[in-house]
Amino acid sequence: MIKPILLVEDDPRDLELTLLALERSQLANEVVVLRDGAQALEYLSREGEYAARDEGNPAVILLDLKLPKVNGLEVLEAVRKSATLRAIPVVMLTSSQEETDLVRSYELGVNAYVVKPVEFKMFVSAIADLGVFWAVLNEPPPGSLKAARIYE
Amino acid sequence: MLPAADITACDREPIRVPGAIQPHGYLLALDAEGLAVRHWSANWGEPAVARQALADLDRSKLRSLVPGHAAVAVGEFHRNGQPLSAWAHRLGDTVIVEFEPRATRQALEAPLYELARDFLPQLQGVSSVETVLDIAARELKRLTGFGRCLIYRFDADGHGEVLAQAIDPGYDSYEGHHFPAPDIPRQARELYLANRFRLIPDAHYEPVPLQATDASAASPDLSLAYLRSVSPVHLEYMRNMGTLASMSVSIVVDGKLWGLASCHHHQPLFLVPEVRAACSHLGQLLSMLVEAREANAEVESRGALRKITLELVAHLSDSDPTLRGLVSEPALLLRMAHATGAAVVLDDQAWAVGDTPDEPQLLEMADWVSGMGRDVYDVDQLASVFPLAQPGQGGQPGRNAVAGVLALSISRVHRHVIFWFRPEIVKTITWAGDPRKEMVADGTGRIHPRRSFDSWVEQLGGRSRPWSTAEVSAVTELRQALIGIVLKRAEEVAAVANELGRVNKELEAFSYTVSHDLRAPMRHIAGYVDLVLESEGSLLGPRSHRYLGHVKDASAFAGQLVDALLDFSRMGRSALKRRDVNGEEMVDSLVRELSRQESARNITWKVAPGLPALYADPVLLQVAARNLLANAVKYTRKQPAPVVVIRPVAADGLVGIEVEDNGVGFQMQYVGKLFGVFQRLHKAEDFDGTGIGLANVKRIVERHGGRVWARGEPGVGATFGFLLPPKNESLSADPA
Repeated sequence: MIKPILLVEDDPRDLELTLLALERSQLANEVVVLRDGAQALEYLSREGEYAARDEGNPAVILLDLKLPKVNGLEVLEAVRKSATLRAIPVVMLTSSQEETDLVRSYELGVNAYVVKPVEFKMFVSAIADLGVFWAVLNEPPPGSLKAARIYE
Repeated sequence: MLPAADITACDREPIRVPGAIQPHGYLLALDAEGLAVRHWSANWGEPAVARQALADLDRSKLRSLVPGHAAVAVGEFHRNGQPLSAWAHRLGDTVIVEFEPRATRQALEAPLYELARDFLPQLQGVSSVETVLDIAARELKRLTGFGRCLIYRFDADGHGEVLAQAIDPGYDSYEGHHFPAPDIPRQARELYLANRFRLIPDAHYEPVPLQATDASAASPDLSLAYLRSVSPVHLEYMRNMGTLASMSVSIVVDGKLWGLASCHHHQPLFLVPEVRAACSHLGQLLSMLVEAREANAEVESRGALRKITLELVAHLSDSDPTLRGLVSEPALLLRMAHATGAAVVLDDQAWAVGDTPDEPQLLEMADWVSGMGRDVYDVDQLASVFPLAQPGQGGQPGRNAVAGVLALSISRVHRHVIFWFRPEIVKTITWAGDPRKEMVADGTGRIHPRRSFDSWVEQLGGRSRPWSTAEVSAVTELRQALIGIVLKRAEEVAAVANELGRVNKELEAFSYTVSHDLRAPMRHIAGYVDLVLESEGSLLGPRSHRYLGHVKDASAFAGQLVDALLDFSRMGRSALKRRDVNGEEMVDSLVRELSRQESARNITWKVAPGLPALYADPVLLQVAARNLLANAVKYTRKQPAPVVVIRPVAADGLVGIEVEDNGVGFQMQYVGKLFGVFQRLHKAEDFDGTGIGLANVKRIVERHGGRVWARGEPGVGATFGFLLPPKNESLSADPA
């Protein structure tokens, strides 16, 4: 089975654009959308609302930095601290070019840090590249399945 | 300085216990408890006569005498038909009773009353000490009939200077004369403080010895006795002066012997007790008057100096807060200490106004003063304590110009010293005699005062006018004020730094918000317009396409502006990581990069040899240099034969690079706007860009401690350049 891509995004317009971009990249992965950091942590640790979900980690987490309740950096930190979640690739998607955020993200072990381009075309290609790289090209840690493109 | 020889033998004479009295009166020394006679002057003839005189006195008054108090009248006695009035005072456990002849016929009114009626009103409204003394000298002469009345003041060294005089014809004038200190031995000065009146009616007198009733009793202390026999040396001095009668009244100010009223007469002159009492009162009156006038003068002078101090301090706090700023008001600085030269030494630097030693000497003196650990130091004879360059040596003012120094040490930690200098006053002094030929011992070992009283002119070398207490306290006050200013500045700087830190944090938070919240909507506008064009583009007419194109461009440009602004703010905040940067290599690679981008255009690049090695943050420096080169490329776009020249520049110890183009140029009147944020001198459709490039260049260069400039002429071209401090200076003054 193909692991899902976990997209954590609170802004509805950004969400729509990101989903559109992922759709255009023709990845076979299911995209699980969560709207804040607290939800994301519940999903990942299969607690609360997500206690009943199937076992297994997502192929990659696309994480917005500015999130309600628990922000992206805090989610990242929690993921890296957890023995079971640690290996999941995390890509920070953000509007911010703020150096302190960038530095903090890498300190916490982010796999990629992407500033969302203003141009939609560039945005699509950036999201597509990310999806392809982390979900398809990247060799996942042992025990996780590699994603495949729909047309393969 | 006076020669050492003037420590006179007089200082050792037992003048308080002479064992004798002057012959114009009689004396009894009594045991204060039993009032038994211990000593009697030999001119009583028999002790029985002395006891008889005692028997007539008021014994209760004699018993109630307070030790050290002035004499009181205790009765009368007639001896050989001469009325004698008796005055008694107590010193220790001895009561001294002196019998003095009084006038056989009472004067119509007491001299004391005349004094109050005639003298006091004259003093009203007189403020100068000199005038008061003049009036007093005349009054003293009128009261006593002495041929010459002088009033003189002692200076710090004990030399007397005649300030007022009243003389009869036939008496030499001593006006303006100086009496050398040894003329009045130290002991005598002390006695003048204790007993403020002394009369010698006849310098040819034969002392009358005191007889003891009990041979073992010590001779009584006659310090406070009017009849005390004086030193034979003094009598000889008087006779040499041609003065047979003399009287002195002490002027005591603040507990110190300020001066003397001194009266002389060519013939013997006797004063009745009433006149003597009036003279004593005059002396006390004078002491009070002088004290008040001097205090007034002191207050006035302090007030004037204080005003200058305040002006200086106000000037400093308004403009230059460093001590160096003091020398920018030379007139005030000199006036506040009545100096002719002044200097400020801060660590290894010195700034001077007026006549001062040269810088190496100033620094040396600053060391010397700092080493004393004193806030204020003053000396009026610098050469005696500090080796100064000889006059004329190396063309600098020597000890002549800087004989006196007043030094203010501002800091105990740093060498921060303010100096004032005064020139040597070659004092021409009219001595009443030559102080260097003081005592001559004859074969018998007896000392004689000098016999010549011809005025002698002495020049006091190497001395300045002494620094007054008012001046010293003015500079002490200045020190407090300066320290206050320095502390206040430090606090202000700390407060500004605090505020800056807070503003910076706020700015960071602001730019964070901008980057997130402003950038997202730009992205959404552009993204959704793209999506509309993509999915519904075929349904829209060309006009809608054009409008949507504008929406897209505008949002994209707004996005660029936000990004540029963020870059600009980041450039001001990120830490500088300075390295050695090879200017030639940097320019070469930038030229290659720009040539590649503009390959369609035929730009002539002229890179002059010898571009400097720079010391800067390589990333930021490249941003700045790229901006200048890219501007040259941009603004030569309409020029058919564009030429860009890059050359090295150097000025004021700084090095840098200049970029000249033959593009559209600009009007010099707008040069000030060029480096501002979002300032543009051209229409947006003529030249693209956010208008923040040169602001970035300026910010980068200034953060490195350098400066930027621009020159231009419309239609001819523009030149932009920057200068950076070299490596060693950047290292020493690197802002954190």
